[in-house]
Amino acid sequence: MWLTLYYIFCYLIFTYTLAMIVTYVIMVCMSKISQKKLEINMPDDNTIKFLLRGSPLTPAVSVIAPAYNEEVVIIDCVNSLLNLDYPDYEVVLVNDESTDRTLEILIEEYKLIEVPYDIAMRVQCKPIKRVMKSTDERYSKLVLVDKVHGGTKADGSNAGINVCSNKYFVCTDVDCIIEPMALYRMMWHVVNSPKPMIGVGATMLMSNGCTVQDGRLVRAEVSNRPLPLFQQLEYMRSFLISKLGWSAINALPNISGGFGLFDTDIAVKSGGYDPSSFAEDVDMLLRMVTYMKNHNLDFKLAMVPEACCWTEGPGTVRQLFRQRTRWARGLFEIVSNHRKLFFNPHYGPIGALTMPYIFIFEFLAPILEMIGFLFMIWLTPTGGVNWRSAIVVFGMIYLFCLFIASAVIYNDYQIKAVNWKSKRMNYFKLMVASVLEPFVYHPFQTVCSNIGYLRFIRNTRAVWTPIQRQGFKKKDQ
Amino acid sequence: MDTIAYLRYYLYYVASYIRFIVSFVASKLEKYPTEVKVAAVIAVLCVFTMFVLFVRMLIMSGYRKSLRLLREHTEETYGDAMRFLLSSEAPDQMSKVEICELFGIDPTVDDEPLKKSKEKKVFAEVFYNLFINEKAENARMSNIHSMLEVFGISEHLEKEVSLGSKRRKVDALNMIRAYGLSISPWIINKLLNSKNLRLQRLAMYTVIVSSSDSTMDYFETEFFDNNSCIKDEIELAYSLNRRRKAGLKLPNLARWAHMHKREFTQCLFVRLMRRFNQVEYCDQLRDLFVPGNKKKLIEEISRTWGYLHYVDGEQLLIDSLLTQPDDTKVAILHALTRFGTGRGMDAMLDGFRHSLNPHVRYEALRCLYNYGDEGRRAFEKLELESSEADAHYFSFFHNPITLAKVRLDREQAYHPSVETVLNG
Repeated sequence: MWLTLYYIFCYLIFTYTLAMIVTYVIMVCMSKISQKKLEINMPDDNTIKFLLRGSPLTPAVSVIAPAYNEEVVIIDCVNSLLNLDYPDYEVVLVNDESTDRTLEILIEEYKLIEVPYDIAMRVQCKPIKRVMKSTDERYSKLVLVDKVHGGTKADGSNAGINVCSNKYFVCTDVDCIIEPMALYRMMWHVVNSPKPMIGVGATMLMSNGCTVQDGRLVRAEVSNRPLPLFQQLEYMRSFLISKLGWSAINALPNISGGFGLFDTDIAVKSGGYDPSSFAEDVDMLLRMVTYMKNHNLDFKLAMVPEACCWTEGPGTVRQLFRQRTRWARGLFEIVSNHRKLFFNPHYGPIGALTMPYIFIFEFLAPILEMIGFLFMIWLTPTGGVNWRSAIVVFGMIYLFCLFIASAVIYNDYQIKAVNWKSKRMNYFKLMVASVLEPFVYHPFQTVCSNIGYLRFIRNTRAVWTPIQRQGFKKKDQ
Repeated sequence: MDTIAYLRYYLYYVASYIRFIVSFVASKLEKYPTEVKVAAVIAVLCVFTMFVLFVRMLIMSGYRKSLRLLREHTEETYGDAMRFLLSSEAPDQMSKVEICELFGIDPTVDDEPLKKSKEKKVFAEVFYNLFINEKAENARMSNIHSMLEVFGISEHLEKEVSLGSKRRKVDALNMIRAYGLSISPWIINKLLNSKNLRLQRLAMYTVIVSSSDSTMDYFETEFFDNNSCIKDEIELAYSLNRRRKAGLKLPNLARWAHMHKREFTQCLFVRLMRRFNQVEYCDQLRDLFVPGNKKKLIEEISRTWGYLHYVDGEQLLIDSLLTQPDDTKVAILHALTRFGTGRGMDAMLDGFRHSLNPHVRYEALRCLYNYGDEGRRAFEKLELESSEADAHYFSFFHNPITLAKVRLDREQAYHPSVETVLNG
């Protein structure tokens, strides 16, 4: 009987692997379909700017950036936000009662004073103490919201939603450097859709290793340090293959909390961000989708493949471990809280395809990998492993990982997603990362995910510790 | 002939090499179970696909490099002349000989300065980028047309529209529309019936710029009605503006608003009316002003009447104010402020006193503040009479930062000064 069970398990794992490979290949094809669609419908940056810049119909946007103890990067961040190239936008910066000099620096630098403000508490957040605006005309787009400490980014974002005055808002992090054309590219999707566009995602990459001047990214480069390098490859895979692929069938499962555009009205009606959630971005998007579907409203979700936002990723193993266990808990939370969407065609392609995909290939994968690994360790001394066959199967998986990395690089090159300083050098670094990733980075991620799941099950209290900021590399450094 | 023979030999060699590898792998795997064979096949496919992707990237890289060099060369050779042509300093109605002189071409020696299609493509692209970036609103279109003819760009664009890929068609149509070039009717008719939404729309917008017929009946389609979006309005406004610049009569947009059924499309044409100052057709919108029906449309009509000073509609707006939803109330109050006849004062006071919505109350106050001396006096009186609970509404009018936003005439988005908005 044990032998039968052994065979069943082996075949199950093999079938699972094959299914995953087929799914990834389909995803690569879907990302290509998305690219083809964009080729026709998305003109070049100059034309987009030309048409939207001159029109009073171009919708206004509020850019919301919650900040907590960000004195190292806050000025670079606000400058980056104020330097965005868009005809009509406001920057809503939310200070979550920072204990460092964040607030003082902002007041001093931008000459801020308190102003009366019409605040409708449309979504739940900690009380807002005051709203400040600049006396200097140059910073008239800036609105500073000073609020009682909520302890989460979601609470800060909700305060921003309550204060923002535009139909669309973009939520971002203070450590993010945003490409000047980013809002134009995102808003093109909004104005180009006959159906209401409820969310637009954009490619977000790691700023570690890049050079920044006056809040603008002047030199895009992949970091030489291993951790940011692996994360860069991972981000590119996620945005340029997975999210771009899902957007082809209007089934985008996630618009990154680091940089994403939402319809304010629908976000408010769906309750805004959940401050108790570990994956507040996915959670809010799924609630928005649920709201639209439950009210039989048509909607659209889109994705901008060009890199629009650069964020600083964890630079140490400890920070990365914390971030990834938190993400794993978030995933578990999503799977349990939104289970009614699974295999439910009422919720369109998101319910019928994306959510089952997330459950089977993202949620279960680390568990199965861990079981498989322990199984191998148990079988090895008993001689139960056919090494010749195992090497061929492992070889297939390894080569498939390399193929996906090549597809990512190919997509990046074809779309011109990133304006790399030196394409050859950066692609070479990414290829090296892809060669090493299955041996070094991936096992680490699997362990983090399993620990995150265990913590979620044991309901261990999680404390959100923001990553230690290094600040950006300046041009003269 | 030699090249073809070499290519044949090369392909034969590659094919036999692939055959050899496949049979070699197959022979090695014969004794293994099916799952190992499947794994091996997938692995080989992965390697093959990676190789193909790498080769494609190399080819693309070569092509992009050649385009970049050609672009640099074009910019270096013709950049200054292009910029001069786009500036207001260029004399009007330049002849082809003058254009040739400006671009440093001797027409007696070189009657076709750009021979290859790739050169024409790059030239057109460089010029178009300058055209849309250099604020070329004062450029003399006749000079641009002559220049495009000298370099064979007009012909090239027409060829691209009829034979190019979808993307190239889109790019070429964008250029044709921007320069107001005319295009063969059979090509444009084919595109007007295209199944591709983007191409069909672009063809419509291109015709608007240069069509001598101002009725443009092809807009009377369900297809346009069901798929219109904000971008269509932006592009329509751009095309209509180019048409106006070319001295052609603009179509009656109120008629188009009547022709369509979807509320969004109707609003689109009503908004365009105020952008193009179509005061003479305001009367035709009275049929569409049916309170209780299509609230967004009512809101847009109110705004349009306000901006175009269609005072005949004032009483209709005052009468319907109280029955309207909040957003429409605000639009009506703004319209009454713009009329400035004095008859809207009571409506504004009612808007503040009787509305429950804070936004409507603030906007009513704002309208009163902007309603001339009489309005300002009423505002001050209201402030003295108001309770403490309402004090925060008035605080906006005392803070210098928020006061700057109180003035209604700063709202560019609704102002019909198309020249500043579109060309600015």
